Amino acid sequence: MTAVPAPPAVDARAGAAGTRIDLDGVCRWFGAGDTVVKAVDDVNLHVDEAAFVVVLGPSGSGKTTLLNLIGALDAPTAGTIRLAGRDLTTASRAERTLIRRHTVTFIFQSFNLFPALTALENVQFGADVAGRADAAGIAGEVLGQVGLSSRASHFAHQLSGGEQQRVAIARALATGNPILLADEPTGELDFRTGVQILELLRAQAQAGRTVLVVTHNREISRVGDRVIELSSGHIVADGPPGGGKAAIADLRW
Amino acid sequence: MTSRMLWLRWSWRDLCARLAQVFGLALVIALGTGTYAALLSTSAWRTQSNDASFALLHVHDLRVALSPGYTVPQGSLLTLAHGLPRAVEVAGARERLIVPTQVAGPKGVLAPGELVGTGPGPGPAVDAVHVTAGRGLSTAAPGGGRPAVVLDLGFARQNHLPAAGLLHVAGGRQVAYTGIGQSPEYFMGGGGGTAVFLSQKTYAVLFSSLRTAQHLAGAPGRVNDLVLTVKPGSSVPALRTELRAALAAVTPPVSATVTTRSDIPSYRVLYDDIKGDEQLWRAIAVLVLAGAAFAALNLTTRIVEAQRREIGIGMALGVRPRLLAVRPLLFAAQVALIGVVFGAGVGYLVGIPLAGVFEGLLPLPVWRTPFQAGMFAQAAVIGFVLPFAAAAWPVWRAVRVQPVEAIRVGHLAARGSGLAPLLRWLRLPGRGYHEVPFRNVLRTPRRSALTLLGVAAAIATLVTIVGLLDTFRATLSGASAEMLHTAPARVTVSLDSYYPVSSPVVAAVRRLPAAGRVQAGLIVPGTVRAHGTSVGVAAEVLPPRAIWAPALFAGHLTGGLTLSNKAAADLGARVGDTVTFRHPQAAAGGLATVSSPVRVAGISPSPMRAFAYLTPAAAAPLFGLAGMTNLLTVLPSPGHTTADLQRALLNVTHVASAQSVRAVTDGLRSSLDQFTGILNVAAAVALLLVFLIAFNTASIGTDERAREHATMMAFGLPVRTVLGLITIESLLVGALGTVIGLGAGYGLLAWLTATTIASVMPEIGVTAALSTGTVAAALLLGSGAVAAAPLFTLRRLRRTDVPSTLRVAE
Repeated sequence: MTAVPAPPAVDARAGAAGTRIDLDGVCRWFGAGDTVVKAVDDVNLHVDEAAFVVVLGPSGSGKTTLLNLIGALDAPTAGTIRLAGRDLTTASRAERTLIRRHTVTFIFQSFNLFPALTALENVQFGADVAGRADAAGIAGEVLGQVGLSSRASHFAHQLSGGEQQRVAIARALATGNPILLADEPTGELDFRTGVQILELLRAQAQAGRTVLVVTHNREISRVGDRVIELSSGHIVADGPPGGGKAAIADLRW
Repeated sequence: MTSRMLWLRWSWRDLCARLAQVFGLALVIALGTGTYAALLSTSAWRTQSNDASFALLHVHDLRVALSPGYTVPQGSLLTLAHGLPRAVEVAGARERLIVPTQVAGPKGVLAPGELVGTGPGPGPAVDAVHVTAGRGLSTAAPGGGRPAVVLDLGFARQNHLPAAGLLHVAGGRQVAYTGIGQSPEYFMGGGGGTAVFLSQKTYAVLFSSLRTAQHLAGAPGRVNDLVLTVKPGSSVPALRTELRAALAAVTPPVSATVTTRSDIPSYRVLYDDIKGDEQLWRAIAVLVLAGAAFAALNLTTRIVEAQRREIGIGMALGVRPRLLAVRPLLFAAQVALIGVVFGAGVGYLVGIPLAGVFEGLLPLPVWRTPFQAGMFAQAAVIGFVLPFAAAAWPVWRAVRVQPVEAIRVGHLAARGSGLAPLLRWLRLPGRGYHEVPFRNVLRTPRRSALTLLGVAAAIATLVTIVGLLDTFRATLSGASAEMLHTAPARVTVSLDSYYPVSSPVVAAVRRLPAAGRVQAGLIVPGTVRAHGTSVGVAAEVLPPRAIWAPALFAGHLTGGLTLSNKAAADLGARVGDTVTFRHPQAAAGGLATVSSPVRVAGISPSPMRAFAYLTPAAAAPLFGLAGMTNLLTVLPSPGHTTADLQRALLNVTHVASAQSVRAVTDGLRSSLDQFTGILNVAAAVALLLVFLIAFNTASIGTDERAREHATMMAFGLPVRTVLGLITIESLLVGALGTVIGLGAGYGLLAWLTATTIASVMPEIGVTAALSTGTVAAALLLGSGAVAAAPLFTLRRLRRTDVPSTLRVAE
């Protein structure tokens, strides 16, 4: 397994409150009348400090919806959401865009790299959008830190799944945003590659970011500082991993 | 097995899922088929209308025209016709007196023209006059009241004259025009050797009885023209030969030309123009349909790509490839069918104003615009087959893919970057993602190429149509520059016959207070022949130190005949070559037609084929008219204008017409302006087509790249920035397509100019030209229309459900 290099620092603009997440009585319902689906129902969740938090649940439990609400991609039907001290609940479309630009950043299950850009350029995209100075320089540095400097000029279709996901992580890191949201980051990867990805994400938490990883894989939840278990839109468990926290090297799935 | 209804329902849902794109494409197909059907229907309309109009007024089959200035006793030409061996084949015959004149009328109109007096004769009327307003010809003897004439419809309309009024003609006489009418030889103008169609505003034709014309011309009992119609089954060439022989045997000798119906400029243009226009309309319609085919290919490729996984699943389940192709092909067929149905409506709607435009531009006595079912059927077949065939190709490719490739999902299904790596070197200032539009153009090279070609086809159409106007304007500018480079205020005065230079008529002109310098010259009609080609010319004899002389670009004025550039090109003649010049020559008591070998002394840049020049020294042995004149060039005296001089000349006896040089090209220019309305419509249709093609592509792109756009938005890129990237990509394709369209349009214009226009209007040397304004407008509008298309996807972008879009496809 490749050694995980030291993670880049969180953008100084984040500040101490930059990693805080507060959800109070948050609901997200779809449809109306007899066809209402309560994807998230009366969720209360508080993350005070940088941590590696795993949101666990089976398909349809509401974990992705919860992630989208936290990431300002969606608005709650009821309740309040505060992110890094800012109230998302009544935020306008433009304010949500700003939050996604400077506060949260995403890592997707299917990577979602831009096919027309090289690996380096995909990473630079993250720094550019966040308005960071010397975006190209930051991109080169971050790409090196995920171990892909030699693949900088390759396009997405020329990279393996694991390499693409590492580029996606680098893109997220290049933003310098304090909150990292990862939706099934290992879903399309084999075990060995998935472990590498978890190590990268784990390192971000250690560097001072709040990392939320959504997964249906209970094995992965064992490496979290905190596991929030969802079922049918409700939090059914919230605390340290059951059976104790495990090292990433001990995981098997 | 699945039923037919399932396939239909399935493809119908595919249709509904992409309604905006489907209707955009259907509209493109509709524009193509409708334009094709409507434009090509006009050919049948014009042919039928021409046939009916010429038949109604009994257009002549043969005409005998004496040389200008010469007349024979009334009755002598009829006697000549009756004495022909094939006289029984003659159906109708009329003697005429046609004399040049000058016309001054209401609204300050002052123009040269001709008076056509037709006498009675055996058989049905020949070249009858169809009165469209007011009253017809009066046969009442002049003297009691003013002589009555009928004014040519084209001249009256172009100059906005009332249906009746008073005119002053050459010699200071006043006539009353009692009505407005048309005669077949003048349907499109072309009288007096003027340019057909473009001269109706500046050349007035008056129709009268023979007696009235003789009275006004001061030539009682004289005629100079004979027109004949022949019975069905008769041989026109044989009668022509007999007429020529009979004329050659007459004493005193008579110089005359014998022409047939096909030599009538209006007749030739009206029929030849149909073929020429049909070529142009077909080219335009094919371009538009090509645009539709490219757009169809684009959309179907997208549909097939979207169905790729389902096709793969079908393959995995053992469904035959032919059956898998049914769904996308049904989609393509439905879209093509919708387009064709719309096209019928578009064609019908376009046809209504089109009929009106043609009736206005080509005012014939009879207009027939029957619905052309055959043409619509042809358009429907082409409009269906072309897009359908274009769609079949991506479907064929899709069902040949390996099933395992077809069912891959996620990153494993990722396609390559196309040609995007070619731009790896490109580094733009500012944000790194500014390079995305450039990369995206090359990332899907096939789609970009198809859009580009579609835009190019539409712009080529626009450029060809507008370029025709530019071409004629450039030709006129060339002619104008040649005619006005010296003494632009001069007036060309035609006399009604040949007179000695020292005659009273010339002295009368010199005495006019408004006349400054007066130069006596000659103008003699003839035919120049070389290498099997004949060209009609009007050879002007220019005295030494002439008020105006052509600026030659080859040879000299002295030592032979100076031809126009157009005539020289048509004859294949160069300076120093010897050509055969058939011309009138003074003989005992009259004029005989002779042929003389003449050296080509010089070539002038004039695009007007008929303009030829000689010096008196070269002309004297040819014409035998030394010391004679029938053409004066006059400059206004100080303090007088050209119009003052023209009005003064109106009252001088034996002055047939007086025309300012500037009025000729000004009149031609204003005739061209009437096309502006049609061209504006054509330009609007072409731009609409460009926009629809671009909208189609932008819509497909937004569809296909929804995930990328959602990712950008997830990272906090505002919608306006995403839209800006899409717009720049569209602009790049549009600009490139416009440039290619400009080149293709110019190529088509050059081809049309060299083939169609050259055959329809051989009298004018036309070279394809595009004005700077046209090029700039095409670039701006073409690129602008394409760049604007993505703006219509803004609503869809703003309503993007980012989470749903980013969800992993199952």
